[in-house]
Amino acid sequence: MEMKQIYVLAALLLSFVGRISSLSITVNDVECVYEYVFYEGDAISGNFVVVDHDIFWGSDHPGIDFTVSSPGGNVVHNIKGTSGDKFELKAPRSGMYKFCFHNPYSTPETVSFYIHVGHIPNEHDVAKDEHLDPINVKIAELREALESVTAEQKYLRARDNRHRHTNESTRKRVIGYTVGEYLLLAAVSSLQVLYIRRLFSKSVAYNRV
Amino acid sequence: MAPRLISRAAVAVLLLLSMASSLLPAARGIWLSIPSTGTKCVSEEIHSNVIVLADYYVINEDKPEHVPKVSSRVTSPYGNNLHHLENVTHGQFAFTTSEAGNYLACFWLDEHQEHVSNVSLGLEWKTGIAAKDWDSVAKKEKIEGVELDLKRLEASVESIHQNLIYLKEREAEMREVSEQTNGKVAWFSIMALSVCIAVAAFQLWYLKRYFLKKKLI
Repeated sequence: MEMKQIYVLAALLLSFVGRISSLSITVNDVECVYEYVFYEGDAISGNFVVVDHDIFWGSDHPGIDFTVSSPGGNVVHNIKGTSGDKFELKAPRSGMYKFCFHNPYSTPETVSFYIHVGHIPNEHDVAKDEHLDPINVKIAELREALESVTAEQKYLRARDNRHRHTNESTRKRVIGYTVGEYLLLAAVSSLQVLYIRRLFSKSVAYNRV
Repeated sequence: MAPRLISRAAVAVLLLLSMASSLLPAARGIWLSIPSTGTKCVSEEIHSNVIVLADYYVINEDKPEHVPKVSSRVTSPYGNNLHHLENVTHGQFAFTTSEAGNYLACFWLDEHQEHVSNVSLGLEWKTGIAAKDWDSVAKKEKIEGVELDLKRLEASVESIHQNLIYLKEREAEMREVSEQTNGKVAWFSIMALSVCIAVAAFQLWYLKRYFLKKKLI
């Protein structure tokens, strides 16, 4: 009973990992976030969305690059030029993994990201004389499945935020540009009238040859 | 490289063990590197009435024995200062959000210390359901083990449900705004055309009046 309780506590410990919320960080050039992976073979999943995208002229922003580096230094995952994506990979070894965002333009961009490292207890985690309780494995799998739904929701929320920004910006620009257009039209026509008046004014007319 | 990894791993494992002994949910957070000058900020959009718990600690990659001190500040979306702590190596803060918006937590190195180059800050940031104290729930309701696990999963499902409702509401709001903008664009284009015609008519009327006055026509 004692060992079983200890095992249950250990299972609790091992399976409740990686609970962070989706944070946003402002990327000027390169910003890196690190996360420690405890077990080899853990599933690293996550998503990121670029929230700030205020380019008025020219073509669309090329997006930001995202790289995942293993503790050994080699790049495990690489996404180039996107405005948001999901990723999923299996950790080849344990250690500190580096998740980097690179912004090719000089305008700072805000990136909202979520990283989750999930672990399912397996035979290697328990002591040699204990055996793995299948219910705990099932509960861990269930938790990972729910975690993936939560991650998807965080991604959708971040995307919704971005769409909201775009919508608000469009709305403001529509109003601003149309009012500006009207004023410009009125100004140009009054300038036309003034110019024609000047053409027909006496001082100019008398000097015409 | 190896000492850096070992020191990071040591701190992470120590924290994990300390968490294990106190039966808190084993939360590992993310690590950020603090620049020598300037601040490193992270933010999150949180809606109101949500519990936020955070814990941070600093290590120096190059010299693990010399721990630098950082200062932190957490601001609410309306600019209120929720937490401000100077010159610490380890700190935590907890608050319940009163307004919905962007909450910002900034960290910076203190100026009055020797120049350190490679400072890492470990941050555990938990909001909402992840911040719930399951230890006290387990004690209060006298449940443990599988039952506690399942209760946590149930709370997780409930939060998923709440999130879905929130997303649906936001999507409906956004659709409203999009439809309105669509309507506005059509209306403004027609108005532009009528403004154009009105201005042209005004020009014609004015010039005719002017030429008549000047007896040119």
